[in-house]
Amino acid sequence: MKILTLGLALLPFAAHSETAPPAPLLPSFSEETTTAGVDQIFAGDWEYMVGGGVSTFDCNADARPDLIIAGGTNPAKLFVNNSAKGGDLSFAETASGLEQTAVLGAYAIDIDSDGIQDIVLLRQGENQLMRGLGDCKFQNANKGWGFDGGNAWSAAFAATWEKGQNWPTLAIGNYIDVTQDMFPWGSCTDNWLHRPDGDKFAPPIALKPSFCALSMLFSDWNRSGTPSLRIANDREYYKGGQEQLWHVNPGEEPRLYTDAEGWKRLRIWGMGIASYDLNFDGYPEYFVTSMADNKLQTLAEPTDTASKPGFKDVAFAKHAIAQRPYTGDDLNPSTGWHAQFEDVNNDGLADLFIAKGNVDAMPDFALRDPNNLLLQRADGTFVEAGDRAGVAAMGLSRGAALADFNADGLVDLVVVNRREPVQIWRNTTQTGNHWLSLSLSQTAPNRDAIGAWVEVKTGDHIQRREITIGGGQAGGSLGARNFGLGDLTEAEVRVIWPDGTEGAWNMLNADAAYSLQKP
Amino acid sequence: MQRRHFLALTGAAIALPALPLRAATSPSDTIQTWYKLVLELVRHTATYSPPVAARAFGYLGLATYEALASGSGAHSFAGQINGMTALPVRPAGSYDEALILHAVMSEAVATFFGNTGPTGQRAMAAMRDKLGAKLHAGVAEDVAARSAAYGLAVAQHIEAYSKTDGGADVDNMGFPRDWPPPKGPEFWLPTSTIVQQQAPLLPAWGENRPFAMPVDAPCTAGTPPGYSEDPASEFYKQAMEVYDTSKTLTDEQKAIARFWSDDPMLSPTPPGHWISIALQIIHRDGTDALHAADALARVGMAENDAFIACWADKFHFNRIRPLTYIKRVIDKNWEALLITPPFPEYPSGHSTQSGAAAAVLTAVFGENFAFDDATHADDGIKPRHFADFNAAAAEAAMSRLYGGIHFRAANENGLRQGAEVGSFINALKTLA
Repeated sequence: MKILTLGLALLPFAAHSETAPPAPLLPSFSEETTTAGVDQIFAGDWEYMVGGGVSTFDCNADARPDLIIAGGTNPAKLFVNNSAKGGDLSFAETASGLEQTAVLGAYAIDIDSDGIQDIVLLRQGENQLMRGLGDCKFQNANKGWGFDGGNAWSAAFAATWEKGQNWPTLAIGNYIDVTQDMFPWGSCTDNWLHRPDGDKFAPPIALKPSFCALSMLFSDWNRSGTPSLRIANDREYYKGGQEQLWHVNPGEEPRLYTDAEGWKRLRIWGMGIASYDLNFDGYPEYFVTSMADNKLQTLAEPTDTASKPGFKDVAFAKHAIAQRPYTGDDLNPSTGWHAQFEDVNNDGLADLFIAKGNVDAMPDFALRDPNNLLLQRADGTFVEAGDRAGVAAMGLSRGAALADFNADGLVDLVVVNRREPVQIWRNTTQTGNHWLSLSLSQTAPNRDAIGAWVEVKTGDHIQRREITIGGGQAGGSLGARNFGLGDLTEAEVRVIWPDGTEGAWNMLNADAAYSLQKP
Repeated sequence: MQRRHFLALTGAAIALPALPLRAATSPSDTIQTWYKLVLELVRHTATYSPPVAARAFGYLGLATYEALASGSGAHSFAGQINGMTALPVRPAGSYDEALILHAVMSEAVATFFGNTGPTGQRAMAAMRDKLGAKLHAGVAEDVAARSAAYGLAVAQHIEAYSKTDGGADVDNMGFPRDWPPPKGPEFWLPTSTIVQQQAPLLPAWGENRPFAMPVDAPCTAGTPPGYSEDPASEFYKQAMEVYDTSKTLTDEQKAIARFWSDDPMLSPTPPGHWISIALQIIHRDGTDALHAADALARVGMAENDAFIACWADKFHFNRIRPLTYIKRVIDKNWEALLITPPFPEYPSGHSTQSGAAAAVLTAVFGENFAFDDATHADDGIKPRHFADFNAAAAEAAMSRLYGGIHFRAANENGLRQGAEVGSFINALKTLA
C-alpha cells in the first residue's frame, strides 16, 4: 500500500476529455462458499427474524478485510482473511473473544483511538463493546468504558465523533419489546444515544420517540459539517411513527427534524440504509430498503446554504427498483434488507447491491427472492444484473458486505442468510477498467476519519463518498473504499476531513491502494 | 329490542377499550379481545387492503353471531343471505358460550389471517393458548370439549361458505401484474411511484358475491359528472373545489382528513375503523355477547357489500384522481394532503362503506346516538366526538375532499350508495 500525506498545495486539474458514457460493463462473480473457509449460519426463531449482520474490517493490519459475522443463536464468528492478491478467497475462522451468542449484528469502530479496531456487538440482550487487543483478539470493555449495554432487541447502529470529543457518540437502534407476544405492535423500545463522558460513556439518552429501528446512519445530508442521525423504522410495529432524522448537535439534546423545518413524513417497512452521492451534486442520496418497495431519496430542494430536509423518491424514475423477483418462478413482492452502493465493475458509477429474503415463510411475499445487483448506467438510471452476474442467490438473505477481499481492485461479496450458510463470491469481472483503493487516517481521536468525504475526479464529474459507520442491515464496512475509474489511468483525489479541512487535490496513479493521511 | 337497549346508554362517556386479557372471561369479553387482535392483524397483514379487510370482518362477524344464535333462539342468517346453507346444529348437552366463541375465533382468525407474518402467527397462537387456558379453567371437560367442537364446526362451515364468494384468493397484494390502461383523458392513471401500484387494486372485486345486496343488482352510486377540462363544466368546478380547498385548509380540516385517512398497513383500514367504533360502544356499554355479535356481523357484512358495490362502480367508470387531473389541467406542482390510493376515484370507497356502516349502526343502536371515537389514540391522533353515526359518515366522506383524493360527487354519491347497501343488511332478521 502506498501512504500519502495529502498536502494543501493545489495540484493541476486533470482535464479528461468528455466521451460518450459506456454501457454498463456486466460484472461476473464466482461463488466460493464451499472453498473460502467462511462457515457460519445466522440461526434462531422469531427473536432473530431481523439482524444477521456482517462487517468487514482489518483486525490484523494486513490490509485485507476480515469478517465478523453474527450467528443469532449460534456464536458470532471472526474470519481472518488469508486471500492472496488476485487469488481465490480464503478465510480462516479464528478464536477472537467475539464468539458470543444472541448477536444480531456487529460493527467495527476504533472507539479509544488506539489504532486497533474495536467491535460493537448488537444483541438480543446486553450489547457489548469488545475492545480490540490486536492480532484479532478482543475482550469485553463495557465496564471499563462505562458502557451500559442494556437489555433490548438491538438491531441498528451508527457512530460519529461529535466536535470537541475524543470518544465517539454511539447510536443504538432497538426493536420490539420481546416480552409482548399477543400484542407486540406498538411496543417499540427506546433507541439509545451513548455520548462520551471523557474517556468513557455517559449513561445513554433515550431517543424518544423510538419506532423500531432497523438501520441508523450518521450522515451529513446537508453538508453542514455536522451529521444528523437518519433512522429507518419498521412500520410493522410502530404506532404513530415514521422515518426519522435527528439533529445531533454537540452540547445539545438530540431533537427530531420537524415538518416546520421541511421534513416530510414517510412510513415504510424501513430496513436498511445505504448512501452515496449518485448525482454528483455534493449531497448524498439515500436508498432505504422495505417490502414490496424501496426508496431512493434525493434532496427535493438542495441549496448551497440551507437545504431543507425534504426528500423525494426517485427509485421508480431511476429504475432503482427491486420490488419483486426479477428471476425465478416466484413473482410475489420482495423483502429487502441490506443495501450497499459499490462500483462493482469499476466504471466510475456506484452500483447497488440489495440482499433480499422473506421474513419467515410469509406467503404474500416471495419465498425465493433473488438478491439484486443494480448496475448504474451513465444517465444515472439502473439496470438489473444480479442473475447475469451470478449473485442472484435465493436464500433468506439479511446482512451483506461488499469489499475487495483479495486486493485485486474488484469488490467481492459476502451475504448472510437466515438459517442457511453464509455465501461468498469473488468478483471475477474481466475488465480493463481502473480503480483506486483509498483508506483514510488521522491522528487521534477518530483515527479512521469517520465523517470525512473522499472526492475523486473522474471525467466530468466528481465521485464523492462519505465515510460513515452505520447503515446497512446490522453490519457495515470499515476500511478501504474502492473507486472505479473507468479507462482513466490516474485520477485526482482529495479528502475533506471531519473537521472541515479541505485537503489538496492529488493525482494518484490507478490500480493501487493508498492510505491517505491527514497532514 | 335492540334500539331500546342501546338508546338508554346514549351520551355516556366512551373510553378507548383497554380490553385486558384478565378481563376476558365473559362471552362478550372474549369477542372483544379477539377483535382487538383482528384489528391488529388487519393492519399488519399485507393483503389486507380495505376491501379484503371488509370481507374478513363480514365472515368473522357472521361466524361469531351464528355460534351464539344457535343457543339463544335468534334467527340464523342462513336462508337470508346469498348462498349460505344452514349452520350445524348444536348437539345435545351443556355449552360454555365463551369457549364456543374462542373456538370459533381461534379457527376463523387463523384461517382468514393465515398469510399474516411470523409476529401475527405468534400472536394468534398466544391468544389461542393463553386465552383458551383461562376460559377453560373451571369448566367441565365434557362441556369444554363439546363447546370447542361446536365452535370449530361453525367456523369451518363459514370458512367453506367464504371460499365461493370470489374474494378468497388475493394475489400480489391485490395488484394485477399487468394492466393495460384504457385510452382516454377521463380514465384512471397511476399516481404512485411504487412499482406495484402502477396497476389498480383489485379490479375484479366488484364481481364478488355480496352477503345481502342482490347479486344481480348491486347498488350503484350513479353516473359521475362527465369529464371535461372546460372551466365552465361541473367536473372542472369540482376539481377546482378540491384545489382551492387544499390551499385554504384549516387545522380542523387537516385533522379530519388525517383522522379518516385509515391507510392500509398503518391503520385498521376504513372498515376496521367502523368495527372499532362498534367495539368501543360495546365495551363502554357492557353489551352482551349476542347483541355485540349481531352488531359486528351487520357492520362487517355491510362493509363487505359496500366495497363490492363501490368497486363495481370504480372499475365501470374508471375515473381519474384529482391528483392527475389537477396536475394536468390546473397546477402541475400540486400535491394532495393525503396519499392518493392506487385505484380509480369514483365513487369514494370510504364514503360508500361509511354510509353503509352508519346505516347499520343507526338501526342497531338508534338515532341520535352520540359517541366519541378513539380508534387512532395509539397513533397519537385525538378522539373525535360525533352526534350520531350519520354525522361521522358525512365527516368521513368530506375528509376525502380535504385530503385531496376525491371529488365531491364521489363522496356524496358514495354515501348514498352505502346507505342503500345498508338497507339490505337492515332487512335481515336476527334478534327480534
